[in-house]
Amino acid sequence: MTDHPANGLDEIVHQRVRLGIMTIAHQARQVEFAFLRTTLQLTAGNLGQHLAVLEKAGLIRIEKGYEGKRTCTWVTLTAAGQAALRAEIAQLKQLIQQVEEGAAATAADP
Amino acid sequence: MANESVPQSSTARELLATVRDLTHQVRVAQRGTWFPLLVFATITLLAIPVYRYGPYVDLFGTCRSRADQMVCSGENPTQLGYWTVALVLAYAAIAGFYVKRSRRRGVGTPIRPYIVVGVALAILMTAVSILLVFHPLLPVPADPFADPGELEVGPAVLLVNWLASPMAVIGLALLVLAWVERHGALLAYSLGYLATVATLDGRVIHATSRWFFLPHLLVPAAVLLLGAAAFAALRPDRQVQGR
Repeated sequence: MTDHPANGLDEIVHQRVRLGIMTIAHQARQVEFAFLRTTLQLTAGNLGQHLAVLEKAGLIRIEKGYEGKRTCTWVTLTAAGQAALRAEIAQLKQLIQQVEEGAAATAADP
Repeated sequence: MANESVPQSSTARELLATVRDLTHQVRVAQRGTWFPLLVFATITLLAIPVYRYGPYVDLFGTCRSRADQMVCSGENPTQLGYWTVALVLAYAAIAGFYVKRSRRRGVGTPIRPYIVVGVALAILMTAVSILLVFHPLLPVPADPFADPGELEVGPAVLLVNWLASPMAVIGLALLVLAWVERHGALLAYSLGYLATVATLDGRVIHATSRWFFLPHLLVPAAVLLLGAAAFAALRPDRQVQGR
């Protein structure tokens, strides 16, 4: 039971929105709050809550600054965040593979 | 367990599809392919007056004079200097464009490897060109004023000479940009561009006109301008930009 890939999924990272935030931050290296909000179609409050969870877990780093007169919040994935994202994607792929293998075995052995 | 596994698998698939979709969206938002192509087309066109009116500065002592004749071998140092400075400035402008755009859109840019490779190739091009002046790969005729006739040039010599050309250096760096931006269309375009400049550089033009070099500059410039226009017109990130 403990070997099942579903058990290896990180509850924090596995949540759809947080996985989305981490994916975007990974690809972008550094991403602004407004870009995340638009791309993920979230309210500022909702996004803020997810960012707080990820920051508390040490998976992202949040920096505030100015771009001209505009205030900006930049999000960067930490090394722990990079590792957690890689692990999550690997677990998801393993989960799909395991289910497919199970389905094939069931079909072959009625 | 089997009943539980089906929704788990479908959710996992959905999550992976979301990851792929978001990755694609970010890559599209990061692309600015048209700008480097436009910059390189501009510096290629600006090279025309340098090639036509730039004096041959005998920096490396390769010129031989006789009566009213002067023969110089090796690349014109004025042209080499132009390309070195122009390429470095071009990469500085491209880096500035990507960084500014990245701040405006709120999404980071992965452009650094492209800029580093581009500047390194420009410096390598200059070094190889200077090296070729002192250690030419082509046979040097005993009488520099005699007609060299048809030279037998091997593929290795052609390749080294081609790699020392600014057009090839631009194309090779574009391959890195295609990898950085994960841009299949740019990869195909860069290979097409490299094939075009390789074909042009492999041809020796026998001409007495002082404008004999024009095809070597106009054709790549036209290819780069067309590429810039096509990537600017067809870029799917317009929606992202408009947000």
